[in-house]
Order: sequence, then structure tokens, then C-alpha cells
Amino acid sequence: MLVGTGDPATLLSPRAVAMDRLDTAPEVLEDVSVLQVLCEIDSSPECAMLPPSLHPTLPPLLNWQAWRVPESPWGAFDLAMTRIECRSGVRPRALLTQGYVDNREAARVLGERWGFGLEVAAVTFEHRYDETRCEVNRHGETILSIGLRDPEPLGMRDIQYVSALHAARLERGLRLIQCDTAYEPGRAERGTPLVDHFDAEQWGEPRLIPVYPVSASLSRGRVTLPKLRFVCRPDELAFTGTETI
Amino acid sequence: MKFGIFFELSVPRPFTREVEQQVIVNALEQARLADELGFDVIWAVEHHFLEGYSHCSAPELFLTAVAMQTERIRLGHGAVVTVREINHPIRAAERGAFLDQLSRGRVEFGTARSSTWTELGGFQADPDATKKEWDEFVQVLPRMWTEERFSWDGNCFSMPERAVLPKPFQDPHPPLWVTVTSSGTERDAAERGLGALGVATASYAEQERRLQEYRRTIQNCDPVSDIVNDQVATLNFLYCHEDLERAASRGMQMLGYFGMLNANLLFTREAYPTRAYQSLANVAPPSRRDASDPSAGASIPEGVCIGDPKRIIDAAKNWESLGVDNVNFLLNAAEILNQEEVLASMRLFAREVMPAFPRPSRTEGSLPLHRQREAQGQCS
Repeated sequence: MLVGTGDPATLLSPRAVAMDRLDTAPEVLEDVSVLQVLCEIDSSPECAMLPPSLHPTLPPLLNWQAWRVPESPWGAFDLAMTRIECRSGVRPRALLTQGYVDNREAARVLGERWGFGLEVAAVTFEHRYDETRCEVNRHGETILSIGLRDPEPLGMRDIQYVSALHAARLERGLRLIQCDTAYEPGRAERGTPLVDHFDAEQWGEPRLIPVYPVSASLSRGRVTLPKLRFVCRPDELAFTGTETI
Repeated sequence: MKFGIFFELSVPRPFTREVEQQVIVNALEQARLADELGFDVIWAVEHHFLEGYSHCSAPELFLTAVAMQTERIRLGHGAVVTVREINHPIRAAERGAFLDQLSRGRVEFGTARSSTWTELGGFQADPDATKKEWDEFVQVLPRMWTEERFSWDGNCFSMPERAVLPKPFQDPHPPLWVTVTSSGTERDAAERGLGALGVATASYAEQERRLQEYRRTIQNCDPVSDIVNDQVATLNFLYCHEDLERAASRGMQMLGYFGMLNANLLFTREAYPTRAYQSLANVAPPSRRDASDPSAGASIPEGVCIGDPKRIIDAAKNWESLGVDNVNFLLNAAEILNQEEVLASMRLFAREVMPAFPRPSRTEGSLPLHRQREAQGQCS
């Protein structure tokens, strides 16, 4: 059975967010555009990129997700995340390696309440008739450029979004926060995936090498940041290492 | 009720040549024993690239070996993946017919379109196209098997007139099945007069719903050939031991491990948003607990044939009462059980469980269409 071999301390601690409490209330965000680009990655380091609590997928898959949020209690923001698809127990999950957002307050609140590991950078989300793109620029350098071209409509439930795992430092120690974000799209599209630039060093995992773009999707609708229900020990399989909040 | 064996040929890591050899040798020994003990059918899946989960990429070769080493047990070739990038329909027809000749008419022919991105992506197949390709495959296979010469001008493939040879041993051809993972495929099977080969473990309630839908729909089927295969098979795990506690302990290790191997796979819908794959499904053990709880899945789920003979009889009787015709068993997962445990489980099942179920006649469920019509007067 394949299982992560990465040392949780060296793998997760640098990206872990400090969280004082887990009893966060849900937050509903309306009219959110979600661009998701999936890409197969070089398989050789995959187990080393996951902690021992998680299992890799076959083949390994990188999951970029970008949000355009026109309105929130913390103001409008654009957000981009790099995540590795994996399994916690037998459940599909996406382990966040690093995210960037263009709104400092949003970065703070998303981190404190849901464990999103975010830094502030210039995130642009461009939507045109035949193409949607997300670019992230940091210190004058482009560190991500992805997109979707030639969209075609899908059913509202045809895109699968998996729950995220966010590394966090809690009073009880280093944990993975299971963030079951709910997506309720009012429209959904699929298109040709575009992967023009990815600087893995800037995304918390320099061993990520994109090799085969698989799909790109775009949805628009309500996104609900959830009440947290589970956290997982990063050093123990989910069957025994899951803690209910 | 008929009982079958379902071979995935799952392999423990590391995948040494010796380990892969041992898995195949053990499976062949299990097949020979199944033939001796009175099991009805051996199914061998077709999968590609599914590390650990299934190394059964050439089931026609495995089944040829089984055919040469057994006398009467039927050979479930399936499911053959009906995706053009993986199998050409002519080659699928030729292989099925040849195996039927070699085995003197023992083939059951399953069809499937693959549910994983791991496989479809590996062959660079289009997930949107697999359903229509499957539909075309099942239309042409019976004709290739029965018409002296055959030509086709279709959406997914075309061919000028040729004789597809050899013809099968069975007249008119082997019974056709389709694997049912996603809810709704049982209706596709019924509409075409195909057997429903359940390969995703399902609860009693879900299986009952599917069965009712299947039975209702097949009454007015538009069959793809002159025979209607109106059988419904379901998939299960088997570990039978006199001591219930021991059976539960070892059987659940097998089931749990297989579930983990299954979980590693990348299902099509997860990687590629599409209307063509509405659910995430494959051979996975059912769970009764909160689907979002990653620690879920410890006790024996309902209907699973793990336990002492009494518990397994009760479970199989329940399946029978729902109208299931065949239960196919996974016997092992990545050699979690040693070979002696597997063989002992099979022997105990044959000795204590099989006598509780009357044996059906061999041809029941796959009669030529005109005979079914005579008998039932139902299929229009």
C-alpha cells in the first residue's frame, strides 16, 4: 500500500498556519468564480511529498484552484492555490502546499479560521469569452500562469471538488485541517487546460513537476467555507489518526 | 443461485517478478479448485496500469490457461474494455470467439468502458466517448459472431466486409454482459438484453432498487442479438472460516486492504469533469459510516460474505431473496490471505454453504430469444 513518507515536521511545519480555535462558523461567499486546472506530475517523489497519514493517487495529480471572490466580509479578493491530490483513509483530498491572495485581511482570516496557508501576492483572474486565466506575480516574477480555453458547458454537478487539507499548528500540535468547502455552482464549464508557467519553488514544494495537463474547469456560484469537523494527525493513518472536533 | 470467482489479480508491493508469478500461480490453483468444488464461473477482469489493485491486463490469456486446466467451469471474459484506444471491436470479437472454441463453449463475455482516469488517460482515450463506443461494441459483437461476413459503417469505427473468424462454439454466441458500477447502467443493460454484471459492491437496498429497475426494463428490451441474457450478478468478498471471530478478523483485513488499493486509483470524474461519468465507482467495500469521515470503515458491511458458514448462508439468502442470480466472490487482495487460507475458505464454502442453495441448470438465464419468448411471451 502506497503511503506518504515525508517527515511531517520538515514537510508541513514551514507551511503550517497557527490556529487558536477550531469552532469557526461557516461563511457563505456568493458569485465566486472557481478555476480548477488538473495536471499529472512527475511520480518519482510523490510519496515523499505527502506525510505518513496520506496516500498518493495513481497517477499523481496536481490541483490548482483559483477563486475570484467579488465580495466577502474581508473585501473582494483573488486567490490561487497549489494542492496535491491524495487520499486520507479512502477519501479523496487535496493537500495545500501554498496559496497566494491579493487581500491581506482575507489571508489572515482564511488562515486563522480554516487553516489556509496563504501569502499576499498579485493574483489576477481574467475571464474572457473563450479563455479564463489566472496569474500570480510575486516580487516582480510570474510564479503561476494557468488557464482554460474554449469552454463548453457542463452540468452543475459534473465538476468534482475534493475536500482540502491545510497544515496548521494547534495547541495539541501539528495537524491537517479537513476543510470541506461546499461548492454550489450556478454554471459550470470545461475547457482545454493551459499550463504556461509554474515555479514550484514558490509554491511550497520544489519537487512538483507538471508533466501532463488533464483538464480545466470553471464554475461560478456560491462557495461556503465550512464549519470544521475533523482534523488529522499527519504522522498516523486516518483510520486511527482522525480527531473529531 | 450461482456462485462465481472474480479475479482482479491484485499484487502486493514490491512488484517483483517472483511475486507477480506467485499471484498468477495461486489464482490458477484457485481456479482449478473452484472447478472441482462446483463453483459456476470464473471471471477475469481487464485492467491496465492499476498498480497493486489489478495486474490482470491480459485476461484472455489467463482464461485460456484456466480453460486448459479445468473441465466444466464457465469462463467470464470480463469485462473486456470497449474503448477503441484499448481494444478494437474486431479483436475483441476474435478473442472471445477463439476462447469459446478453446473451452468448448464456456465463455461469458463481459463489456465495460473503464471507470478510471488511470486507464483512460494512459491510453489517451476520450472519457466523453466511452459510452457511445460501448453501445456500438455491443451492437456489433453479436453480428461479428453470427454473420458469415460482416461490414459496418458506424460512429466509432467502420470496416469493409470481412469474415470475422473463428465463430464461437456456442450457438449463436456467448452470453453478453455489461458491468454495472454507476447507478443507471443496469437500465442500459436491460434495454439491450444484456446481463447486469455488478462489480461495485452495493447495499441490499441499492441492489434491490437496481434489480427492480432491471427486471422492469428488460420486459420490453430491444436486444442486441437473438439471445437475451437476463441474469443479474453481484460482487462480493468471500472469507469463510468456522470461527466467526477469526473470519471477521482476516476477512476484514482483506476487504480493507482492497479498499485502500481501490482508493489509490484516480477515478475519471475526479480528474476529468464530464457528464459521461456520473459517479465514482469501482470495486470498493461499502461503508456504513459518515462518508466525509476519513476514519470510517471497520465492521463487516451488510451483505458481505465474510464470516462463518451460517453468516454467509444468511447473507447469500438475502441476495437470493432480492432476485440476484449470481454472486461472484473476490477471494483475496494482494495476498493478504495466504494461499492455504484461501483454499480452505473455498472448501468450507463448498461444503457448508453451497448445499443450502439449489443448483440451476447451466443454460438458465441465457436462452435463445425465440425460446424465451415462447416461455414468457413478454419480450416484444
